Amino acid sequence: MERLRQDDPVRIGDFVVLARLDADGSRGVPERRYLARSADGGRTVLVCLPPAGGDPARWATEAQQAVRLVQPGFWPVAQVGGSPAFPWYSSPYRPVLPLPAVLAAYGGPLPEALVRTVGGTLAEALASAHVLGVVHGGVCPAGVLLTACGPLLGCFGATRATAVAGDAPVPATVLETGCLAPELAAGGPADRAGDVYALGAVLAYAATGQTVPERQEIPVGLREIVTACRSRDPEGRPEPARVLAELLPGAAYGALTASVEPVSLPGRVVEALSRQSAEVLAAALPSPER
Amino acid sequence: MISPLLHDDPHTVGPFRILARLGAGGMGTVYLAHSAGGRTVAVKTLHTRLAADTTLRTRFRLEADAARVIGARHGAVVVDADPQAPTPWLATEYVLGPPLDAAVEAGGPLAEPAVRMLGASLAAGLEQLHRSEVVHRDLKPSNVLVTAQGPRIIDFGIARAFGDEHLTNVGNAVGTPAFMSPEQAAGLEHAAAGDVFALAGVLVFAATGVGPFGGGAPTDLLYRVRYGEPDLSGVPEPLRPLLVRCLAKDPAHRPSTTELRTALGGGEDAPADRGGFADLLPDAVLREIARRSDEVWREPPHRLPPPVPAEAPRPEAAPAGISRRRLLSVAGGALLGGGLLGGGGWALFAGSGGTGGGGTKKDAVDRPKPPTQLWSNALWCPASGGEVMQVGRNLVMRAGIVLCGINAESGKSTWQASIEETWRSATDGTRVYALRGYREKASLAVCEVSQTTGYLGKPLAELSAFAGKEQFNQLLCVVDGIAYLVARAASGKSWYLVAADLKSGKERWRSPVEGPQAQGFPPALCGAVIGSRVVLCGSPSTDSHFILLSSHDKKHGRKQWEMSETFAGATPPSRLVADDHNVYLGAENLTARRLSDGGLEWMVGNGRDVGDSAGEERRYGAPLVQDGVVYCTEADRGLIAVDALSGTLNWQEKGLSGRKNSRDVTPAVGERYAYCADDKGLRAVDLRARKAVWTYEATPLVLTADPKGGRLYVRQEKRTLALPLA
Repeated sequence: MERLRQDDPVRIGDFVVLARLDADGSRGVPERRYLARSADGGRTVLVCLPPAGGDPARWATEAQQAVRLVQPGFWPVAQVGGSPAFPWYSSPYRPVLPLPAVLAAYGGPLPEALVRTVGGTLAEALASAHVLGVVHGGVCPAGVLLTACGPLLGCFGATRATAVAGDAPVPATVLETGCLAPELAAGGPADRAGDVYALGAVLAYAATGQTVPERQEIPVGLREIVTACRSRDPEGRPEPARVLAELLPGAAYGALTASVEPVSLPGRVVEALSRQSAEVLAAALPSPER
Repeated sequence: MISPLLHDDPHTVGPFRILARLGAGGMGTVYLAHSAGGRTVAVKTLHTRLAADTTLRTRFRLEADAARVIGARHGAVVVDADPQAPTPWLATEYVLGPPLDAAVEAGGPLAEPAVRMLGASLAAGLEQLHRSEVVHRDLKPSNVLVTAQGPRIIDFGIARAFGDEHLTNVGNAVGTPAFMSPEQAAGLEHAAAGDVFALAGVLVFAATGVGPFGGGAPTDLLYRVRYGEPDLSGVPEPLRPLLVRCLAKDPAHRPSTTELRTALGGGEDAPADRGGFADLLPDAVLREIARRSDEVWREPPHRLPPPVPAEAPRPEAAPAGISRRRLLSVAGGALLGGGLLGGGGWALFAGSGGTGGGGTKKDAVDRPKPPTQLWSNALWCPASGGEVMQVGRNLVMRAGIVLCGINAESGKSTWQASIEETWRSATDGTRVYALRGYREKASLAVCEVSQTTGYLGKPLAELSAFAGKEQFNQLLCVVDGIAYLVARAASGKSWYLVAADLKSGKERWRSPVEGPQAQGFPPALCGAVIGSRVVLCGSPSTDSHFILLSSHDKKHGRKQWEMSETFAGATPPSRLVADDHNVYLGAENLTARRLSDGGLEWMVGNGRDVGDSAGEERRYGAPLVQDGVVYCTEADRGLIAVDALSGTLNWQEKGLSGRKNSRDVTPAVGERYAYCADDKGLRAVDLRARKAVWTYEATPLVLTADPKGGRLYVRQEKRTLALPLA
């Protein structure tokens, strides 16, 4: 839970804003994300607003599409609201750490085993989406939300699936540059190969703390697959299913994203997750009768 | 863990909306709930059935106080509490972590650095408690929750006094006296040093998976705790010398919590390194913490529907009860209990009402003053069976799981015997008897308890027709060499009132009676030999207000009569009050029932002006009959004295106001004074002036007069006193 700033909204729709999800000064966050609670105290949600520099109307259209998609491994969008000028969407809260917060809690780049688990789960999520013709289009470190049961892909709204939203150009301002494939940066449409490029950037970030590391900074075991994902030529990038097989040899396909059991996480990461959970549990709305 | 609500669980408790169950036990239920502001809490409730018991209510309040003392870092944050509500409740933070016993089971013993950090943090928590003069008394692995930020101490030892639920759960490290201090095992004062002993036991458990005195039957454990050497063979070498000191039998030889914390490497304040503790935890424990952190946010499970009635159901055996009981073992989130040091103290005379403005010096000189205590002993008083028994020139008292021999002159403990349950022991005034342990042999046996060693001797009567392994077998009394018991037959489920001849060792007779009516309670509330009869008072079933009184011929056991009597309020009588003619009961009215046929002899209360308490269900307290006079408190008006034969009022106490009489405490009567318990303490009523003359600050649970020794014994929750009887 991060403290609210002066310019943060007090209410979003029916929700009273409790805290920010992202730490102050986080870079490359393509949405404004808040922890909020319904005014009757009954529902706690993660609610997202378009980024400061983005196009609210376009973002709202994407949110409308996303609410109809239930994709394993993707952060679910439960409710869309607001107006075209001030759109928002919300999802039921559960304890989550954006990938940069995971690294901050751990105190640096993650151990290779955890990079493999996180990367493998994300690859599986992309693989099952791509089969249906759904492209994420917004994969980036801040868009990876780690729960106790593994990572989910949030921040769909940076760009959206060709099959769903058509060939819209990418607004280059909101996505971290290291996550944007060269062909997209040149104005091309979001596609599957672009997701794989971004996945490579996320893997690199998890393993080194940077989306664009020097090759030798990447741990040897991951070097080849990360480099392959990040190849300039879209044709040279592997399919997500191959990324999964490389990262987690022998993993049963479909088991990772559907897991409701906790995964092994470092002590400090569990500490941060459980602390956030405890803080949100203990948070109370200022009630008028008090 | 989080489980569905039952159909009859409340929708709200105080200001909280109930979402799910976290656990339940004999005392009450713990729920997961939301405040109006959406804060998630664990709400512990006390059964309404138990809530009328003022001492339980008091304990409930003390729990909240103790939890506040230990604070947020080492305990669970107290959000709100209402010990005065019809269903008293306590709302705390929902703590995200498994109990230490579950953690060790899941992840194996902890490594030395983790044990050190755990120990330093627990020692700091106890330090905090002890600074406020609170002693935990029940530190054990199941009362330590392992969170990612460090351990949290919950559930204070006060629970031991009620029904010893945790002792009925043998076989695992939890639920045994494995972490008791030797002084506690002996039924003596367990002070701060006792907590240090228990803490060391918890650390041995954390480092090895086994307590320092192993496992097994509570009786064996109690013995090993008191006399055995702790087994530290699995403990990392560098920790051993420190733990050996903590486990010293003599409390004076143990280090203080501050010393212990420092020795384990703990600083004065919180460790600066966030996550440093979590890094030392095994993966399985971390996953369990993560699971709990996540699970609490999932949609709560649906409330269970009402049970479908079985064919031809017996009303008291509805399926709901079964499903509820199945949930009893579910362990819960932030269960809290509290223990504060009790103790009798002084109160200057609290005026008998209406004087106001403070007493003058003259008053202080002229008025009799409360006496000085003759002795006091830190003996706990059980919820039932707390009466002081006189055995020869000495005393015997039940204290938790032990029976204690007490020197009546000095108040010192002379011997202790493990009796397992309060209802399994009795005395005939010269000897002490107990039933053989229910984990030992297949047949039921009555043994004599040695008044020097506390050991149970060879059986005086061995009754193979009755089940020896029945926990709720009951020894009612022993009169003229005959023991009267309520016992379950070895085959089948029938229960009998049994007379056993302790000289011949043979059964004399048996007569069928009702078995236990409520979970955790024996079949009878009390039973006594009165003249030529054995009078038995059966336990009520859960939530029922009926008790079954029956009379049996002492010679042959033939049932002469039986009748249902209602008791008002929530606490049924725990002692049979009778003379040669009648049995006396205080409830909505004060009644006398004839011993000859159970019929109503007389009744006092109809049309009496009892002031503000007129609407109360229970207006009359537990009576005492002495020398043809029945003494009883009437609502909050004061003591009344009624002629036992006719039921006519002899006199009533004058000028009492602003007191709440403790209805469950039977008065005691000396030559000059009658003694009653109320919310201000022990009140002495002058029998001639019929006015209160002084109040001794205490919270009596049981009063017993000893006219020969000239002493009044006052049993309180945590301490027993002797005052001069006048």
